[in-house]
Amino acid sequence: MSTANITKNFSNAEQAALRLLQADIPDTERPYQEIAEQTGLTETAVLRLLQDLKEQGVVRRFGATLRHQQAGYGANAMVAWFVEQDRDLDEVGKIMAQRPEITHCYQRVNCYAWPYNLYTMVHARSREECMDVVEQLARIARVPQYDILFSRKELKKTSMAYF
Amino acid sequence: MDAIDKKILDLIQTDFPLDPRPYARIGEQFGLTEAEALARVRALKGKGIIRRIGANFQSRKLGWTSTLCAAQVPEDKLDLFTAEVNRHPGVTHNYLRQHMYNVWFTMIAPGVDKVRETLAEITAKTGIEILNLPAEKTYKIKVDFPMAENEQD
Repeated sequence: MSTANITKNFSNAEQAALRLLQADIPDTERPYQEIAEQTGLTETAVLRLLQDLKEQGVVRRFGATLRHQQAGYGANAMVAWFVEQDRDLDEVGKIMAQRPEITHCYQRVNCYAWPYNLYTMVHARSREECMDVVEQLARIARVPQYDILFSRKELKKTSMAYF
Repeated sequence: MDAIDKKILDLIQTDFPLDPRPYARIGEQFGLTEAEALARVRALKGKGIIRRIGANFQSRKLGWTSTLCAAQVPEDKLDLFTAEVNRHPGVTHNYLRQHMYNVWFTMIAPGVDKVRETLAEITAKTGIEILNLPAEKTYKIKVDFPMAENEQD
């Protein structure tokens, strides 16, 4: 399943249901029933599809996505870290991932023009709180070389339409 | 937003009930009727706190690839570059950041070749080079924002 599109494995009706589930579910007391009616599946089939995909990890999370600024997390920063070659990147990554303020942590490809190899997203209530977290992590994980990139403007934010 | 709203948000960010009557299940946990639970969730959507309720896929498990891209875009080319990048449905997040590399966006595509092709196309149209920084390992993705524990402040 390397580059092949796995959507082929779903029936047309399932794809139609997934198109609705990847967006915003119907605003009604019985959203799965509504999806079933719109796609020709049964309510049970919609629920089973979702349950199976969750168990397989294809659906990472099924739930509400917040606008974090409105939810009290007004500040966010992306931090690009340069972890020296003689360090264990996995160990450093795991230390950073433990912090609740870190929502994303990845090891990424680097290059001569951009040597940073570890990335974290920090969400907090203020810029100062973000800075505190970053300074603490730099000390705890012993990674003194990093760059903080605060966002100035959201240019686009959507959910991917896979189906 | 009161204490119950915050608890509802904590619950439905992580696990929205997979049950024919999800709002009845949410209500049970907080001593609300189904109608009350639905009304609260609707109000949280209306206030813009909830962006959406739905599935978040792990793109890799669907056979897709994702990457982070960065570019140094001069002020006078910002609108052109942003329009060209945002045109692509696989670009889900794009931010202007305070840095020499000032534009950072994510791209999801059916394969690495498609990513390269799309980036080359954007560069050809705008004259702006783009850094392609795919993840080699994921240590964490957890975009649940704890609400109830913030109550005291």
